[in-house]
Amino acid sequence: MRYSFIAPRPKKIVTPELKLVFFFFGMTLFILFATYGFLLYKSHRFSQEVIGMNQRIADTNKSIVMMQKEIAMIKKSAAHFQKVATSNTVLKDSIKNLFDLVPERITLSKAVLEKDALILYGITPNKEVYEFLLQAPLRSIFHKTYSDFYPLENGWYRFVSTNYLDEEAL
Amino acid sequence: MTLSISRQNIYLLVLSVVLLVFVLLFAFFALIPEGKNYRMERLEMKKYEANEAQYHQWHDEVLEELQTLQSHNKHIIAAYDNIFDAERFVKMNSMYFESLQLQKITTKEDKEGFSVYEVNATSKIDSPSSFYAFLEGINKSDWIINVNFPIRFEREGSVIRSTFTLNIYTNLHEK
Repeated sequence: MRYSFIAPRPKKIVTPELKLVFFFFGMTLFILFATYGFLLYKSHRFSQEVIGMNQRIADTNKSIVMMQKEIAMIKKSAAHFQKVATSNTVLKDSIKNLFDLVPERITLSKAVLEKDALILYGITPNKEVYEFLLQAPLRSIFHKTYSDFYPLENGWYRFVSTNYLDEEAL
Repeated sequence: MTLSISRQNIYLLVLSVVLLVFVLLFAFFALIPEGKNYRMERLEMKKYEANEAQYHQWHDEVLEELQTLQSHNKHIIAAYDNIFDAERFVKMNSMYFESLQLQKITTKEDKEGFSVYEVNATSKIDSPSSFYAFLEGINKSDWIINVNFPIRFEREGSVIRSTFTLNIYTNLHEK
């Protein structure tokens, strides 16, 4: 005897409707966890990047400090060289001017150049030639000028001219 | 009238409510704080990126300045690093002098932080112009040399005997 007009179907625990609902639930959870995972991963990456950048900035800074030290050293050397070169040039000009100052009639036998003094030894035909042609220009350069004469047998004079600059003038 | 809800629907409703509660709790206690953290980290990174770019630009500027200085002062840099070689100096300057002898006096440090090698030079020249030429050439030599006082010129027959002091400067780190 039949009690139903339709054939009996096997009864399932998970119906197609339930499957659909579970699928949507699953999708929701997946999107939720995927977003969270993405955020976690990116945050971690950013902090790693920041650590790396920090290191690179520190290295760059160190390199800049070293280069600046080198720049300062080169500038100091260049300034020092300029000073030395100028000193040599001034010295050359001073010596040249000194020898140009000596007239032909006077013969120098020795010249001593100190930082603040000039001592000349030589012979002159007479005192007047020395006084007008050598002592006068020396007086215009130096602050103190002393001259000593020693007569020679031939009537000429051996002289020692000592000239000083004041310390303030140096 | 009785409301007939199947057991399955009740389970479904309960599950939906649980899911909704879970989603809300997860969003408020995990997702939103992590999102804020992400934004802060991103901002921080952008700041560091800008900072790094600035440092990089500064580095390039300093490097360019250094390279320009190095190329303009090649001779000076090399001269300060050169160790004085008396034999070579005499050989290089023999054209100015009839004879040239050097005698080391001291090595000291000057107030500007350079090492100074002091040498006493005794030479014979045929005319003062040789000495002028020597003083002109000394600024182009391989060392940084300053001719110093006292300087003596003394006639010796047909030549002039000259004595003077040379200060040779080198960088301290070379010592």
